[in-house]
Amino acid sequence: MMKRKWLLIAVVALAVAATLPAQAKKPTEVKFWTLFTGGDGEFFDAMIAAYNASQSDVVMKNDTVKFTDYYTKLTAALAARTAPDVVVCHASNLVNYVPNNVFVPLDSYIKKAGVNLSDFEAAPLAGCTFDGKLYALPLDVHPLIMYYNKDLLKKAGIAQVPTTYAEVLADAKLVQEKTGAIGIACDDTTATYKAYTFTRVFMSYLKQQGKTILTADNTKANFNNEAGAKAYQLICDMVNKDGVTPKGLDYDSSVADFKLGKAAFHFNGVWATGSFEGQKDLDFGAVQFPAAFGTNAAWTDSHTFAVPVQKKLDQQKVLAAIKFMDWMTSHGEMWAKAGHIPTRKSVVAKAEFQNLAHRKDYAAAVKYVFTPPATPKWAQIYDLTSDCLEAAVAKNVDANTALADMEQKVNAILAR
Amino acid sequence: MRHNHNARDALLFSLPFLIVYLAFLVLPIFYGIYLSFFDWNILSGKRFIGFLNYLDAFKDDKFLSSLLHTCEFVLISTPTIIVAGFLMALIVMSSSKLRRGAETVFFMPYILSITVVGTLWSWIFQGSFGILNQTLLALGLRTVGWLTDPKTAMWSIACATVWWTAGFNMILFTAGIKQIPDDVYEAAKLDGAGYFTTLVKITLPMLRNTSLLVLILQVIASFKVFGQSYVMTGGGPYGSTRVLVQYIYETGFTYFRMGYASAMSILLFLIILFVSIFQFAAVKGEGK
Repeated sequence: MMKRKWLLIAVVALAVAATLPAQAKKPTEVKFWTLFTGGDGEFFDAMIAAYNASQSDVVMKNDTVKFTDYYTKLTAALAARTAPDVVVCHASNLVNYVPNNVFVPLDSYIKKAGVNLSDFEAAPLAGCTFDGKLYALPLDVHPLIMYYNKDLLKKAGIAQVPTTYAEVLADAKLVQEKTGAIGIACDDTTATYKAYTFTRVFMSYLKQQGKTILTADNTKANFNNEAGAKAYQLICDMVNKDGVTPKGLDYDSSVADFKLGKAAFHFNGVWATGSFEGQKDLDFGAVQFPAAFGTNAAWTDSHTFAVPVQKKLDQQKVLAAIKFMDWMTSHGEMWAKAGHIPTRKSVVAKAEFQNLAHRKDYAAAVKYVFTPPATPKWAQIYDLTSDCLEAAVAKNVDANTALADMEQKVNAILAR
Repeated sequence: MRHNHNARDALLFSLPFLIVYLAFLVLPIFYGIYLSFFDWNILSGKRFIGFLNYLDAFKDDKFLSSLLHTCEFVLISTPTIIVAGFLMALIVMSSSKLRRGAETVFFMPYILSITVVGTLWSWIFQGSFGILNQTLLALGLRTVGWLTDPKTAMWSIACATVWWTAGFNMILFTAGIKQIPDDVYEAAKLDGAGYFTTLVKITLPMLRNTSLLVLILQVIASFKVFGQSYVMTGGGPYGSTRVLVQYIYETGFTYFRMGYASAMSILLFLIILFVSIFQFAAVKGEGK
């Protein structure tokens, strides 16, 4: 008898408890996936927490996927229409998804949500536009820049930070002579991470001479020419003739060498800033990637937010997603803590951003950046050119042979 | 008369496994064969192209070089892992006091996941701050680019693989040795046979079937190498350790060419199948 009474009380209590939440207003739950791990991840999660705390209409639920698995998981989910409400996607990767109609065109929702598009920098926004329609909102641009070690430059008696590549090269040789440190830490070998830096540098040197790596219609290679030969020679000489970059230097080693104060200069993307700042006795500076031919230009990619197409379109969720994207991009100074450059003019103007060390030194670079060619075959070409440049520099192949070989292989991919 | 329901019971007990096996192994294999005749980028429709993917593969030097690197790995790693496993089994079956501890130590790496093993050995082999090069420097020797020099990269990957999987072969050899009846060894001792004579004239011949099993399993496993090389060298330097499975993965998921990736997988499957059949026939044939 006693047991039955307690059972009854328990059931009634459960029934009451079950109805309680329904009486309170439930915030829209918006799910999304990001690929930010490590240092980037911590800053991003902090922004999510701040957003959730700032309003009660929407609750963002983040799921971080390991960087190397992210696009595999995203592609599978998009194919099955089970992707979350918002995803992060590199601008250079949008071209693989947009033509397959898996991302929602955002123009109408942006108008409804009242997002101020003119606040965005033109170039990053253009990277998200296909056939005149906007498919994503850019959160940041993360270009190739140059880091330098202030202590090593001082030791070698260098008073002014070099701006042109010729100056950088001369200073690198001087530091190597006087201190024995590495001149330019630029990764030239694939290990855990692929040696993409050479391709990024090669593309930057080409653009500085007014050339793009592929023809404008993305049908043929465009680097087996004088500009390409000059660009290649600079890279090849850096490792061989000038000897300011050691052979067999992989990405992890090049970052570690600079972090431990063993390198005067370091070519890498802005994403490394956060981790260098964490290094106690590293006194470093960061500037735009040096001009080798008189003009500035640097490779960049950009993290964007996109909205996957679902089996059933939920207008409320899309609008909530847009509001989230709007908030995140207009609070880009928090994301800049990870080293990335914000895409909104209002954010760059904020005191919080201006007060961050280093970022404003290279924020001006956003005017000179260019994105990779928007072709679905880019991933394959990117891997190929990285292999070719890596091999050619390691074996000290002359410019003509190296570029002819690379051109033939790139054209084979484009022709298919 | 009571009917025997052995067949029905067997089927029912195997059903849970069979369902998972069919759904996640058998069906995907047939789907893969089907896909290999199409051009498909995962996100849009399929386009039938017949045998074009297979023809492409034979003209693709990245496919051929990746296959070559896989074969290099098979040739380097197979004898090494088999011999290592056999030596471990000998130690474990000896009368040494260390044998219990040795068995655990030898088998422990096998329970680690592939990414853990790859990452661990990446750090050991790391050029500037890896423990191996730090030791060389401390001894006054020159450092070696274990993972960044094309001459040593594949060997480094094989080294990590031996450490990781030799324990499995040890288990198989141990089981094989335990099956050899004691009186054969006693008779040999009575005849005055020493350790090495016993090993060569008795143990090895009686392990013939176990050795064949180990050989076939090891060759199959080596042909499927991917995780270790992907984590440790990313296929580098400049693609010189890119194995076929890595190229298949990149083609399918990074370059969005699922049909071509499927065709290459089928080709790899056929290669492994023929090698296994050949091995089986060759070793069994000798037995007669």
